[in-house]
Amino acid sequence: MAVADVVHLIGTNPVYRSRVACHNIAEPEPAAYGTLDRPLPDALAAYLAHAGIRLYTHQCEAVNLLREEKNVIITTPTASGKTLAFNLPVFERMAADPDARALYLYPTKALANDQLVTLLAMEKFTGISVKPAIYDGDTPQSKRSAIREHARIVISNPYELHQVLSWHGKWSPFFANLEYVVLDEAHKYRGIFGSQIALLVRRLRRVARYYGADPQFVLSSATLANPEEFAAKLTGLPFVQVGSDGSPRGKRHFVLYNPFYDGVGERSAHQESKDLFVSCVKGDLQALCFAGSRKIAELVSLWAKEDLRRSSARLAESVLAYRAGYLPEERRLIESRLKNREIRGVVSTNALELGIDIGSLDAVVIDGYPGTMMSVRQQAGRAGRKAGESLAVLVAQANPLDQYFMHHPDEFFARPHEHAIIDTGNPYIVSGHILCAAAELPLHEEKDREFFGGELSPVLADLAESRLLSRTPRGFVYAGRGRAAEAVTLDGMAAESFRILCEGRVLETMDRAQVYREAHKGAIMLHQGVTYVVNEMDLATHTVRVSETDVDYYTQPLKDTDLSILETLRTCDINGVTCAFGDVEVTERYTAYKIKKGDTVLGVEPLDLPPITFRTKAFWLVVPETIAAPVFSAGLDLAGGLHGAEHALIALMPLFVLCDRWDIGGLSSPAFGENGEPVIFVYDGYEGGIGLAEKAYTLLPELFTRTHGMVRDCTCKKGCPSCIYSPKCGNDNVPLDKEATVMILAGLAAASAGNAAVPETAGSLPGAGPVAQ
Amino acid sequence: MQAESRIGTLWQQRMAALREYSVVRDGNVFGAGLAGSCLYSSEYDRARSLLAKLLSEYDGASFESLFPGNPIETENGTCLSLENREAFSVPRLDTGRLDAEMLADLTLVKGIGERSAARLRARGCRTIADLANHPRFRHEAREVLDRLSCPDPCGIMDLAGSRHAKSHPFVLGAAGAFAKEDFVFLDIETLGLFSRPIILFGVGTVEGENFVVRQYLLRDIDEEAAALTALSDHFTGERKALVTFNGKAFDLPYVQDRLAYYGIPPVARVPHFDVLHFARRRWKGEYPSCRLGELESAVFGVRRDDDVPGQMVPEFYETYLKTKNCGPLVPIVGHNRQDVVSTARLFFYLLGETCGRC
Repeated sequence: MAVADVVHLIGTNPVYRSRVACHNIAEPEPAAYGTLDRPLPDALAAYLAHAGIRLYTHQCEAVNLLREEKNVIITTPTASGKTLAFNLPVFERMAADPDARALYLYPTKALANDQLVTLLAMEKFTGISVKPAIYDGDTPQSKRSAIREHARIVISNPYELHQVLSWHGKWSPFFANLEYVVLDEAHKYRGIFGSQIALLVRRLRRVARYYGADPQFVLSSATLANPEEFAAKLTGLPFVQVGSDGSPRGKRHFVLYNPFYDGVGERSAHQESKDLFVSCVKGDLQALCFAGSRKIAELVSLWAKEDLRRSSARLAESVLAYRAGYLPEERRLIESRLKNREIRGVVSTNALELGIDIGSLDAVVIDGYPGTMMSVRQQAGRAGRKAGESLAVLVAQANPLDQYFMHHPDEFFARPHEHAIIDTGNPYIVSGHILCAAAELPLHEEKDREFFGGELSPVLADLAESRLLSRTPRGFVYAGRGRAAEAVTLDGMAAESFRILCEGRVLETMDRAQVYREAHKGAIMLHQGVTYVVNEMDLATHTVRVSETDVDYYTQPLKDTDLSILETLRTCDINGVTCAFGDVEVTERYTAYKIKKGDTVLGVEPLDLPPITFRTKAFWLVVPETIAAPVFSAGLDLAGGLHGAEHALIALMPLFVLCDRWDIGGLSSPAFGENGEPVIFVYDGYEGGIGLAEKAYTLLPELFTRTHGMVRDCTCKKGCPSCIYSPKCGNDNVPLDKEATVMILAGLAAASAGNAAVPETAGSLPGAGPVAQ
Repeated sequence: MQAESRIGTLWQQRMAALREYSVVRDGNVFGAGLAGSCLYSSEYDRARSLLAKLLSEYDGASFESLFPGNPIETENGTCLSLENREAFSVPRLDTGRLDAEMLADLTLVKGIGERSAARLRARGCRTIADLANHPRFRHEAREVLDRLSCPDPCGIMDLAGSRHAKSHPFVLGAAGAFAKEDFVFLDIETLGLFSRPIILFGVGTVEGENFVVRQYLLRDIDEEAAALTALSDHFTGERKALVTFNGKAFDLPYVQDRLAYYGIPPVARVPHFDVLHFARRRWKGEYPSCRLGELESAVFGVRRDDDVPGQMVPEFYETYLKTKNCGPLVPIVGHNRQDVVSTARLFFYLLGETCGRC
């Protein structure tokens, strides 16, 4: 069978057919081959000839631009040959200049391993000695100095670079000859994390400059709405985009599949995803199923194996699960078996969404909207061979957001790419990197303004005042007690690692939140289809002991999220609404877990776990009776209105405070605290706060007005992803009431809910445009 | 932006949470085993009360009165040098004995392991010289003989270090070829574990019958570049050798790192004898640890009163910077000087054992 047969099956089988909300077909596109301004050196030309590669237009464009010493961001789709497009000019430079060095940064270690294999193969064939090596936390001490001295292409990650920069003395030959910096999967560096990386890149450029180098940058990224702006923000340098894809595409089917087409849904979306995945595997397709969590990935894989076993044991063996938490060797084995077509199907978390080389597959099943269109496109892009057909299916969950897409397929397919937002002026972030920079080389107020912007002078004064920096004739010298690079964490997460042990053997590792969710006492854990039960969870030693078991049920924890105000730092009155800013504590409690078989709940068991607390900064607003009463009297749902307003405020906040919506959290309650008032909280998703709520608090009137306009003017009836649906809602977008939302926002903005004749404000804000969050 | 006024405080709090040592209950052997990163709570409490005592005792005392030193001018500014002399006798070494031992060690010849050496000895080859015409090993043997006959200590260190462990007595023995004035003993005190300023450099040299310790003490962080330059000057000149205690892992890379930070050329590469390595080989298992303080008391019976634990030097120095009260510097300077002296004494003690005193 081929893709066409499976597509036919989905279109004709009565069960499948009824659930198809839309079947979109993209016609095949032939390859567009390009030409280089001047030929490649013989060794590289021979390499391409040997591999049977002819360069596409976008690859040629990238090579030409890089040879002109332009900084380039390549945004063509998955599997279009982006890596080759920058490896060629890097190798060319290495061949021409025997001292030249390059730094490749990857967001994950798995990607680094993948790239190493590619570079070694290229080096072997071409004879151009680039001595590629990975330098990260796993690199043994004994190999480090040789890598620093000899490797010409160093592959690393931002976390390692953050630590390495203060050791530049040892790396001086590397930095002095650094000609290229490659940031692969650069779209990962957006929002607050992106802002941290942007400052890290400035520190890298500053150290390179000190040794007389001015490296050229190459970024490879998923498609974005603002690639050039994003790249310029991330690096502080001008960029040219290469975006028009010249690689050939076979015919591509994209099916929107709705298990809840009848408003009821017999079975969960996961079960339905499994069915489609099994059909693909049985139809002789190589297929990938993307699941929303580690556990669902394991479950879907387990269910698929059971189904397949009924027809063939061999077929059942050819399906595996893949996710973070597996040991690296295990993951590498799955990747290579997938690439060599030894296995037929993999059920994965978004870990396989990034550019790990697994070749191109026939079919992809996406179990639920993954939160951004960027992810949808990356995941769907895993299916699609150069010739022949491919299939991608998005299976909708029951939540309103997924359902909205099922009912508005045109909007789904026409949805704009996301904006990647970066803020290099956030004082919390800048100040941390200024400390690190001062520990790397003495800081000069004038000379280093280029890297750290207008924030530099006031921050320097403040840090010197606190004795973290010392003013000397040679510049500001770091003199704090702790190591600066240790105090500044790039992703704001404390790395706490729990080991999952089975008979003394490490099965996998997890962080604290995951252990609470998936490895509490009594939890059924899945690892590569084998079922384990958690016998013991030792929080003090960070150890979880499990043993193999043979049950056909699984567990699902129940979580309560709570918020308490620790200290109110500021309050104000906006249009009669009391708004406040201060310290809050968010508490998550896992109180019980459900025992489920398939979609049926067999029982509920209590859990006794200490709560996970997290302190941050928030702004909140108390909705007065004058706004709440009319909502009640109109027969609308106040809770749904508050929840909708919370989502809408969070959706627009990134335009005001330059972050990603995933950096912000929210909570609303129709009866909060002792007084039982309706309250909406919006908080920073980072321990201690990172200035987002703080800045938004000063812009509340504008935020209210814009948010009100956005929801009111949205043409949907009951809410949609462009107004009040949130892709990251912990309550599956329930309850939501658009009418109540508009009334509440109108009250906040002191505007009349029915008045549509408000002047257009879009465009007056930096970065304003289509809100694609 | 309203955030700024609080940012210094915020980072100070984060730094304070990043202790580079932890305080463990007395007798917690497991905790203390994590080399140097732990302090027993009694040590910690004693140091805290010492700090309080110093602050009241030296309140108002001027820097000059406590630390009378000479300003040193360097191309990178001025720093203060404190000088201290004490009588010191260096054992006279019998280098002939070591030479004979080396000559008898057939395994110094490339290609000869323990078993071959035993076989060769059984056939009457007693020294490397006996191998000079050996059909298989003559080239390698002659190479070794050349090295041994030449008084270049580096050649001997390389030879011994490449055939044996780097802590082998032959490696230490190569030091016997230096004049006692060639050695530069170094110990530094810093604001933390790497990437922070060095606040005190202790440099010891033998001058005639005296041991002289020069200490470059930073009155403020802005003197670090000058002090580094003053230190570098000790390594210029004909024949020099560096002697440290754990300096291969700590002091020397730290100094090089700080020089790179200021863009000052690195100190010249000279033979480096790290006493810790030789001491470990000599005393491992005999004493609870091979820390300098442990050895100086076990071997020489040195007792330190009112000492500051190494891990707490940063907070003592910070207290000085913050209060301008020089009291907290007193034990730092004393601690550092004692470290330099003990390093030198241990070095000559071990060297004497190795070469045999006359």
